[in-house]
Amino acid sequence: MRWVVMAVALLAAACGSQGQVSDDVFTPAHRTIAAAARDYFNVRPAAQQPIPFPHKTHLAKGAECTDCHETVEKGPIAGIPSVKTCMVCHSQIATTKPLIKEVTAYSDKGIDIPWQRVYGFSQEAHVRFNHAPHIRAKVECATCHGDLKQMTVAERAVDHTMGFCVNCHRQKNAPNDCLTCHY
Amino acid sequence: MDRRDFIKLTAVTGTSAALASCGNPEHQLIRFVPDEDITPGIAEWKPSVCPICSAGCGVNVRVMDADVRTVRSGQAGVVRMNVAKKLEGLPTDPISRGGLCARGQAAIQITYHPDRLAQPMKRDGARGSGSFKPISWDEAIAELVSKLDALDDRKALAIVTRPHRGNRDALFAAFAQRVGAPAPIAYELFSDDVLRHANAASYGKAQLPTYDLAKARYVVSFGADFLGTWGSVVAQNAAFGDMRQARPGVRGKLVQVESRMTTTGASADEWVPVKPGTEGVLALALAGKHDIADAEKITGVPAKKIERIAKELADQKPAVAIVGGPALAHTNALFTATAVNELNKALGGELLGFASHNAQLSTLSAQPFAALADAKLLLVDEANPVYGAPKAWKVREALEKIPYIASFSRFVDDTTAYADLILPDHSFLESWTDAAPESGSLDAKPISAGPVMKPIHDTRATADVLIAVAGKLKTPVELPWKNGEELAKSSQPSTVDRRQANPAPPSAGRQPTEWTDPHFDGAASDYPMHFLPYASPAFGDGSTAHLPWLQELPDPLTSAMWSSWIEINPKTAEQMGIADGDLVDVTSSQGTLRVPAVVFPGIAPDIVAMPVGQGHEHYTRYASKRGANAASLLAPVTEPETGTLAWAATRVKIARAGDADGSLILFAGEKYEKPHDHETR
Repeated sequence: MRWVVMAVALLAAACGSQGQVSDDVFTPAHRTIAAAARDYFNVRPAAQQPIPFPHKTHLAKGAECTDCHETVEKGPIAGIPSVKTCMVCHSQIATTKPLIKEVTAYSDKGIDIPWQRVYGFSQEAHVRFNHAPHIRAKVECATCHGDLKQMTVAERAVDHTMGFCVNCHRQKNAPNDCLTCHY
Repeated sequence: MDRRDFIKLTAVTGTSAALASCGNPEHQLIRFVPDEDITPGIAEWKPSVCPICSAGCGVNVRVMDADVRTVRSGQAGVVRMNVAKKLEGLPTDPISRGGLCARGQAAIQITYHPDRLAQPMKRDGARGSGSFKPISWDEAIAELVSKLDALDDRKALAIVTRPHRGNRDALFAAFAQRVGAPAPIAYELFSDDVLRHANAASYGKAQLPTYDLAKARYVVSFGADFLGTWGSVVAQNAAFGDMRQARPGVRGKLVQVESRMTTTGASADEWVPVKPGTEGVLALALAGKHDIADAEKITGVPAKKIERIAKELADQKPAVAIVGGPALAHTNALFTATAVNELNKALGGELLGFASHNAQLSTLSAQPFAALADAKLLLVDEANPVYGAPKAWKVREALEKIPYIASFSRFVDDTTAYADLILPDHSFLESWTDAAPESGSLDAKPISAGPVMKPIHDTRATADVLIAVAGKLKTPVELPWKNGEELAKSSQPSTVDRRQANPAPPSAGRQPTEWTDPHFDGAASDYPMHFLPYASPAFGDGSTAHLPWLQELPDPLTSAMWSSWIEINPKTAEQMGIADGDLVDVTSSQGTLRVPAVVFPGIAPDIVAMPVGQGHEHYTRYASKRGANAASLLAPVTEPETGTLAWAATRVKIARAGDADGSLILFAGEKYEKPHDHETR
């Protein structure tokens, strides 16, 4: 029987795109077996960004992470900035560069740039992560997100496994109750 | 199938499922730039006002970010918005005190209803068919303005609304007055106007009283389902809880006098069934103003029991008597209300008070819709008389003859289906809103609240539409407010007494405390049963039947849901060979309904009861053509002095019509809910 399971798993893992199944009945489980298999093996597609956003360039010019990921100090989610945030500077700066023109075009149409999320927990992980307390505890952004000064497009530089979280919580004497994250 | 086969089959289906999902691109909608600053994942609580009934509870709305589907310049997409997610009671509100009833909880579904009208609509089918096509706001307003300008005489403009809605009443009253139309017709099926009239005579206040139940040691309620459907239910429930449990060693007693057990009756210490329409005699006997032996004859309540309750009332003060519901839906209702007021005076009356601001008296003519016969143009706002008025008033026939009808409804309901134009209003969460609660707390004050979220559809606040229309007429008319915000905040006589003066004490000739026989429609020989249509705990008068949470809310006494039913006493049912779920034909002088039976011990043998709320022809996918409309059996019998519909004064006959057909859905027992039995149509 092992070959069957393996075959399904491999097939599923090889299949990069997310399946779209219209369900009439609500189910908390995975939408497809492929999705279940991918989740089990922690296989996730790399984010495909519409514009190769250069984190490196922005940080080199002295911008802070929180300048654009504004809500990181206020709530659970750091926030993917809206095109409005881009235009705060780029309505004036570097307006003639081709990529900035693309950004301006999005803004003119009133459409947000379809950035894809890089990090995040799957539903099944049952993790409720909140940025704000981590910022208050002065954890560097780079601890969990890697050194963005060296990256153009953000990549998943750090694997957010439970071991990774628990290690850091131990070192910093942060609570390690199950209910700290799983509730 | 053995285990091996099962696993093989799983593998095969699993592989094909995995294959099917390959190469299927992720369905992604265009994301528009948000209009507001959003902190994702952080909820804010904002105040608003519950629109469901006239109790006017303050609500607390949980507002958080969400993706809202929208269309912008012809392109479909999503936009991130701060939207309402959950309603709770507002802790600082004197009425709700942080509580909210099931109907209030479900009010959030008004905003997100899949059949909500997303923009103005113009009729493109036969009247009553409910077929409409979308048009723009400019076209819609221009069309209404041109129809108003084309009227030879503005007296031919009729307006139909619902009473007791705070400043919204003032808006339509001002519009009618300034354009020269007759005052709006404000109609509701379960009106408390008889009690307001009686209170005007007894206390000089044409208003519903507020009962200080928390201090009561003894409460007698005559027909008033004050814990379920009558009056300021959330406030009364909180006060009732205090009466029972907040005083160590003291547990207030509740005696419920009624002929069909309500939620309140089920919570009472003692349930006293009486003959319909005789509650007033019992009240007078308890007050020592009617011979007890005679009262036994009239009401059917044993003299010993009357004596005992009278003694308990005298011993256990403070005590209070409440009257409402079916007790005041008879032709002698004014007598009943006045008799209970007499009892309250005999009890000292210290637990009965009136909130500071006055309410209004509405419908005063025996046929409120008679004026529709001469109307050339009709505006309908939050009223559904095609559904809720007796058939004999011929509202439907009148609407068919009116050349042009415009409605401000958010949904196509039975009356709006006759409209030529629909100018859909925002939901209450998207606009300025207010209420002028007349009872529930002595501290009740008119309250208003701003929008808690941006509109998710292309709708407009009715106040803004009316103000715009009035300003665009050939001879422009200015309303007293510039926009809906000003209207909601205005503290001027938010409730207008349409009689322009305090009502005179009713009737000079006859003492209102003199016992008068109730009159019933239909001879007892032809129609042996009393018909009691009652306000549904979920739907009230039917106005919330479109909300699926309320459709699936089991009735507290029968556990029925998603359906209509008629309650029959077990003895009567046995005599007629009727079992639970059997179909029964219920016939009044007005027509016949076929509904499933619920054999129900909490009802007198000569009475059948049916909840009002189902049986809509048009009211979204959840309520259309579901169940039967109890109001359609009602004879046009009114209380003669106030013109209030005597909705419990119709007699019927019943006959078994067939075996159970599965249309009765019960939450408990054998006929439990089967999800596929009532898939949405």
